[in-house]
Amino acid sequence: MDELTREFLIESQEGLDRMERCLTDLEARPQDAALLGEIFRSVHTIKGTTGFLGFKRLEKLAHAGENLLGLLRDGKLTADRSLITGLLQLLDGLRSILKFIETEASEGEGEDTALIERLEELQTPARFPSGQDQPIGTQAKAKHPVGTRTGAPSASAPSVTPSPLPALSPPVAPKPRQAPPEQVLVTPVAEAIPAPAAQSAVADSETDVSRPRAQATGAAAGTAAESTLRVDVVLLNRMMNLVGELVLTRNQVLQATASDPNMTLLSRRLDMVTADLRENVMKARMQPVSNIFSKMPRIVRDLSQSLGRRVRLQVEGQDTELDKSLLEAIKDPLTHAVRNSLDHGIEPPEIRQAAGKDPEGTLKLRASHEGSHVIIEVSDDGAGIAVEKVRLKAIERGVIAPERAAQLGERELLQLIFLPGFSTAASVTNVSGRGVGMDVVRTNVEKIGGKVEIDSRAGRGTTLRLRIPLTLAIIPALIVRSVNQSFALPQGALSELVHIPPEQAGKAIEWIEAAPLYRLRGKLLPLVFLDRLLMPSGEHKSASERDSFIAVLDVDGRRYGLVVDGLADPEEIVVKPLSAVLKSIGLYSGATVLGNADLALILDPGAIAVKAGVAMIADQDAAGSAAGENDSNAVSGMEYLLVEAAGRRAAVPLADVLRIEQIPLSRIEYIGYRPVLNFEGQLMPIEDSSGVLAAAEATPSTQADREEKIIVVVCREGNRHVGIAVSQVLDVAAGGDLFEAGTSQRTGGVTLLHDRVTGVVTLAGVQPLPAGENAHEEWNQMAETAS
Amino acid sequence: MSTATVLPRKEKASTLVEVCSVRLAETWFGVPITHILEIVGSARPQPVPLAPAYVGGLVHYRGDVLTTVSLRQLLGLPANDGAQAILVLESVAGCFGLLVDAVGEVLTVSSSDHEPNPSILDQRRKSLFAGAYKLKDKLLVMLDPEQLDPLRLA
Repeated sequence: MDELTREFLIESQEGLDRMERCLTDLEARPQDAALLGEIFRSVHTIKGTTGFLGFKRLEKLAHAGENLLGLLRDGKLTADRSLITGLLQLLDGLRSILKFIETEASEGEGEDTALIERLEELQTPARFPSGQDQPIGTQAKAKHPVGTRTGAPSASAPSVTPSPLPALSPPVAPKPRQAPPEQVLVTPVAEAIPAPAAQSAVADSETDVSRPRAQATGAAAGTAAESTLRVDVVLLNRMMNLVGELVLTRNQVLQATASDPNMTLLSRRLDMVTADLRENVMKARMQPVSNIFSKMPRIVRDLSQSLGRRVRLQVEGQDTELDKSLLEAIKDPLTHAVRNSLDHGIEPPEIRQAAGKDPEGTLKLRASHEGSHVIIEVSDDGAGIAVEKVRLKAIERGVIAPERAAQLGERELLQLIFLPGFSTAASVTNVSGRGVGMDVVRTNVEKIGGKVEIDSRAGRGTTLRLRIPLTLAIIPALIVRSVNQSFALPQGALSELVHIPPEQAGKAIEWIEAAPLYRLRGKLLPLVFLDRLLMPSGEHKSASERDSFIAVLDVDGRRYGLVVDGLADPEEIVVKPLSAVLKSIGLYSGATVLGNADLALILDPGAIAVKAGVAMIADQDAAGSAAGENDSNAVSGMEYLLVEAAGRRAAVPLADVLRIEQIPLSRIEYIGYRPVLNFEGQLMPIEDSSGVLAAAEATPSTQADREEKIIVVVCREGNRHVGIAVSQVLDVAAGGDLFEAGTSQRTGGVTLLHDRVTGVVTLAGVQPLPAGENAHEEWNQMAETAS
Repeated sequence: MSTATVLPRKEKASTLVEVCSVRLAETWFGVPITHILEIVGSARPQPVPLAPAYVGGLVHYRGDVLTTVSLRQLLGLPANDGAQAILVLESVAGCFGLLVDAVGEVLTVSSSDHEPNPSILDQRRKSLFAGAYKLKDKLLVMLDPEQLDPLRLA
């Protein structure tokens, strides 16, 4: 395909996307001149360029559409529902031809006469029983008896095809390139809603009207075009790959030069530049979610019409950005969720009215940032999910045993809808309800390292929350050791770590026949020994001969503990694909190069669960233990680490916690008044606002006291790590929202844990360590204040 | 190719082929250099648990993770504990590494010295070898890079 055609395809697709957005908007504001102008221009641009490139079929169709749109734009027709449907059909028609050109490099043999006829039919004002547009239309017809291109032929004789007008196309063709469709907003409004007297000028010669417009917008168009550039995604992927490589090399350089003072400055610089570069390349791959949100109005419109619903779509946070590949990956799950909301969620108007609700339902799409994740919510104010129905259905489908079902709470029952083959729709519709619903949504989202949460109140509506990581290529992982090798375990699936010293192994790990189990806070957790899984024939040390670590994993609704021999640091790893032969083993999702230049295979927690036969049904236990017993009203579902510091309880967001360390007091050093920890050559500030550390230091210290261990919760705050000194770690629990009395606003900084109001530690409040030019002075100042 | 049509070709022309010689135990093998992307000296591939036996492990190569094929394993020789050399070979699906004991020199051989696989070879070797060149003092057994592709072996 030549450059020109490719350019044309991209431009046209963008134009059509814009047209689709405008069409759905037009339904709400049929008189909006800017919208009409925009739609007209999209089709017009296609028609102009196709004539030039010689795509006859496309030109013919676009031409028919343009005629209709011309009438609309000139105010001779009003955009009503059937007309918009016709235009949407035109849009689909144009899209399918473009698609064909893209794949086959030709327009294909399809027949568009039916569509063209339909478009011509719509041009006849006569189909309006009593439209206020009709007189205008007739007036125009009277003024131009001799075929000016827009009004006359169609108005007087609906059967005339637009083809006898090719002579008028050439002068129009080159024009649209000068007026980029982005610049619509500047279009003078007067031109689009013309007084009858001005009609002739508008209808006679389009070029006259467009030219000043093109000039007026020329300046703005110039700057926009100069500051942006189209880049092939393949090139971006390659860049990302190289940056990943640079990150790895940097890690190695940092480790190799840590001891050499001459190199420290250089390697620091390399570190900064690399981090900056990585961030910017990642930014280049970011696209606003509006790219997929903008498809939704059309889907909602079509579905609500075919299902007989009345739905208002609200969209929030359109400019939230996400990596391109992730955006592609969530397109289908999101569409699915929207379909579900319309089909199962929002009730028909009569039923809504009977229930005392607004007959028009609301569907909300919301995107927002939360830490290193993007949250996408699809919420409706429909019927909600009847948990009792879910319970019955689950028993009927044999997903769960009746006695087990009776024990489940509402929250746990809701989780059942994510199991494969589960659908509560009373009848199978062509929209959804074939039992391949939510499990596909969940699988797709989890495939990219995301999570799906659901919250539903009977009669009040349902909210589906997709939690998507910002980027795919670089993920945080915990490096674990087994069979004398390092493996990377993605942290997305990791919920906690348990250490079992050899002397406790006998008691801690219990067995039912050959199945090892661990009692985690009173619930049995199935265990998978990584060494036995990877080397079924080899000899294995039993757990009582060495230290074991259980990584508690939550994935695909399966919860289990992976037993490994050792833990190393968490690392940001760059995922490298594996060759097909190794992929087919099914346990590894990729490989990576560690900071010490070793290669490590990336374990796939989901595949390991399947291989080891961990059942999906363990899911309910997962939901139960994560949610706690007493927070059925927890809406946000944020998990916290509950700690005690100097007699007070505090909460640390679990997502920020990297690890919990026990450190002898002697290892805490002070620079001025600031306690810091020298951890493998890296300096980490310790937050001690509660005074745990100060209290421990104040007690008269013998050498033995100095060896006493204190607990430090190591957290991630932005790019840096900070430690928080605490006296005790109590539990992990889901926090409940608290609302201010009166205003009902969600309060910040506190959360409800175990029915007690608990303060949340603000990590951002921990002062950064001095760096850069003035570091010396700052350290000195600190030293002075201390003395 | 255009030159080929212009120049008069000698009948049964013995074209010269450049071959990289590699050693495995006591045997020398040849690999046409047109298939070799790079030669990486002493590497220690990372083993992959549960992988097919012929997979020699993973190595880091120019930003990618390369699957290697152990020629020793393929030919039924005992594993070599020392560091091995890797030939990075191009294949249809990407590239892969071939683990050998040592890499020798690049030899220029004449196609007139080439003979196909002898019929007495076992099936496995027949599929991996692409005949041999009769050198003055020894035979240089040619390896068929296409057949060594891990996807083919699977």
